[in-house]
Amino acid sequence: MARVSLTNITKRWGDFIGVDNQSLEINDKEFLVLLGPSGCGKTTTMRMIAGLEEPTAGEIRIGDRVVNDDLPKDRDVAMVFQNYGLYPHMTIFDNIAYPLKVRGTPKAEVAPRVEKAAAQVELTEFLHRKPKALSGGQRQRVALARAIVRTPKVFLMDEPLSNLDAKLRVTMRAELKHLSRQLQITTVYVTHDQIEAMTLADRVAVMKNGVIQQLGTPDEIYNDPANLFVAGFIGSPAMNLINGSVKDGMFVTTGGTSLVKVGISDRDAVVLGVRAEDVEIHQPGEGDIDLKVYAYENTGESVMLTVQFGQQRVIARGDRHLRMDMDDTVGLRLNPDHLYLFDPASENRIGNG
Amino acid sequence: MQDKRLKYLLVVPAVLVVFATAIWPLIDSLRLSFTVGRLTRPNFPQAYIGLENYNWAFFDEPAFWNSVTVTSIYTIVTVALTTLIALGLAMLLAPGGRLRSGVQTLLILPFAMSPALIGVSFRFMFNPEFGLFDAFFGLLFPPLADISWLSDPVLAFVVCVIADVWGWIPFLTLVLIGGLASIPRDTIEAAQVDGAGGWRVFKDVTLPQLMPVLAVVLILKAIFSLKTFDQVYMLTNGGPGTATQTLSHYIYFNGFKYGQIGYSASVAWLMVIPMLVLTYFYAKFVFRKD
Ligand SMILES: Nc1ncnc2c1ncn2[C@@H]1O[C@H](COP(=O)(O)OP(=O)(O)OP(=O)(O)O)[C@@H](O)[C@H]1O
Ligand SMILES: [Mg+2]
Repeated sequence: MARVSLTNITKRWGDFIGVDNQSLEINDKEFLVLLGPSGCGKTTTMRMIAGLEEPTAGEIRIGDRVVNDDLPKDRDVAMVFQNYGLYPHMTIFDNIAYPLKVRGTPKAEVAPRVEKAAAQVELTEFLHRKPKALSGGQRQRVALARAIVRTPKVFLMDEPLSNLDAKLRVTMRAELKHLSRQLQITTVYVTHDQIEAMTLADRVAVMKNGVIQQLGTPDEIYNDPANLFVAGFIGSPAMNLINGSVKDGMFVTTGGTSLVKVGISDRDAVVLGVRAEDVEIHQPGEGDIDLKVYAYENTGESVMLTVQFGQQRVIARGDRHLRMDMDDTVGLRLNPDHLYLFDPASENRIGNG
Repeated sequence: MQDKRLKYLLVVPAVLVVFATAIWPLIDSLRLSFTVGRLTRPNFPQAYIGLENYNWAFFDEPAFWNSVTVTSIYTIVTVALTTLIALGLAMLLAPGGRLRSGVQTLLILPFAMSPALIGVSFRFMFNPEFGLFDAFFGLLFPPLADISWLSDPVLAFVVCVIADVWGWIPFLTLVLIGGLASIPRDTIEAAQVDGAGGWRVFKDVTLPQLMPVLAVVLILKAIFSLKTFDQVYMLTNGGPGTATQTLSHYIYFNGFKYGQIGYSASVAWLMVIPMLVLTYFYAKFVFRKD
């Protein structure tokens, strides 16, 4: 049980900056997700908390203790490695039991706890095997079991579900969520899967190039993105971003189409962001603008409509019963309550619709 | 011609060469080991005497048993020392070790020297009048000044061991560095996070994964220690007395100094036994499946 605080943490290798002067407070019992594209410094941040990587500058605390000079073994964290890090010469049972044995858990307690952890990740029948006789997804679950077999101060999980098939991933996600509620242990969880981030996190830190772009609840990250990167990174399909300007209180696209009324003063260069589900599909003439359908995709749960005006394409999400054809004309209306305006130069958000 | 036959034909020359240089001498030496074979007399080999040579070695020759003892102790001590020191160095020099630097390439240097040269140079260094070690020890511990290392039975043995260990450490270190480098870093880091200290990580994670390489190193070094000859020949020539006479040296002396080829051959064949055992295990580890 502990809070984790990173203060002005930097990690540099020669000229290359992996993590750039970041501060992050992770509350006690919080489930914090680090989300970002490949190479943005998620694993590096986590390894610094574990003590496997020494920060070039800055201070790391776990609980009340500055742990910069503590060895990994003294930090009382449990980690799921991105590449599993299983002990190839030990059986699955011994792999999971290792943290218990090393920390001197009484013999009688070891087996029941290993079996319980194995059951939680559906591995019971593989306990006698060696890691090389398991599939990638099974190995990943061993790594997970080895972490949850103990009650450490902090869980560090580096993409622990990345190699599972879609169905198992959903099950394990729910299992993890349940487990974290039950155990109430501070968790740092790395992923680049947004759904995982949205569903598991108390708070999400979105990273890019070693810098945290935004730290907030999943709700805030989704509905209140701080800048263009977060807006474009979160959500599937990605948020529609339309270049244009603001004249007389109206957003006008670069092509000259006057699109929607916005609440900021006139400005030359603006990016308008709107999510697909906030683009309403109407009969021609009943929306803000009539456009031709460029592509129509039916995903089953909803339909995706792509329209084009000028150079820009906009995706709208419609009811799953909506049927369309290419070149049909539709009337689109942008929901004025859910529009985001960004400054293309600084990429920061400058206002709402 | 059919491929099936051609492939055998193509390896025939190689087989012939191996046969002429290795197999045939081996068989012929086995034949000679059952004879009185004296180089100094006409009609070599003079007579077949069955197992008489073996009998002689086993029951009538203290010198044989002396060289067996010398070789055994020599092998155990040099294998243990070389492997331990090489493992320590490898841990320091391997990726992630504390001493990682460009010195690795320099390491191979002593190994590139011929054992005979090592023998000669150590003989110089331990010379009581102008030797480097003598000057060194004499300075540090005056009582050790002017000791003639190579004329004391125990010290002479120690010098042989030092020379051998010195010559072999580099190669074994390089092999072990390779072994250590192939251990996934993840496994070691996982153990650290799981709560293991330095020694436990080594014992529980590093060592078991290094075991196949370590076994090969141990066996290989044992084979080379068993057949040590050149260094001992140059350094002490088996002396003082027979204090450092290894089996190879004993065989050489009997065969080529005293001309008793038949007897030498029988001792050489006795040496084949431990060699075969070691080679069997070596092959088992090198060609092991999985
Ligand atoms: N030991 C190292 N030496 C030099 N650069 C490194 C080292 N380790 C990581 N990096 C660099 O630091 C950056 C961040 O790496 P990190 O592993 O933290 O990325 P990540 O966000 O976990 O990415 P992924 O999602 O692909 O796992 C990368 O550009 C990587 O190349
Ligand atoms: Mg990573």
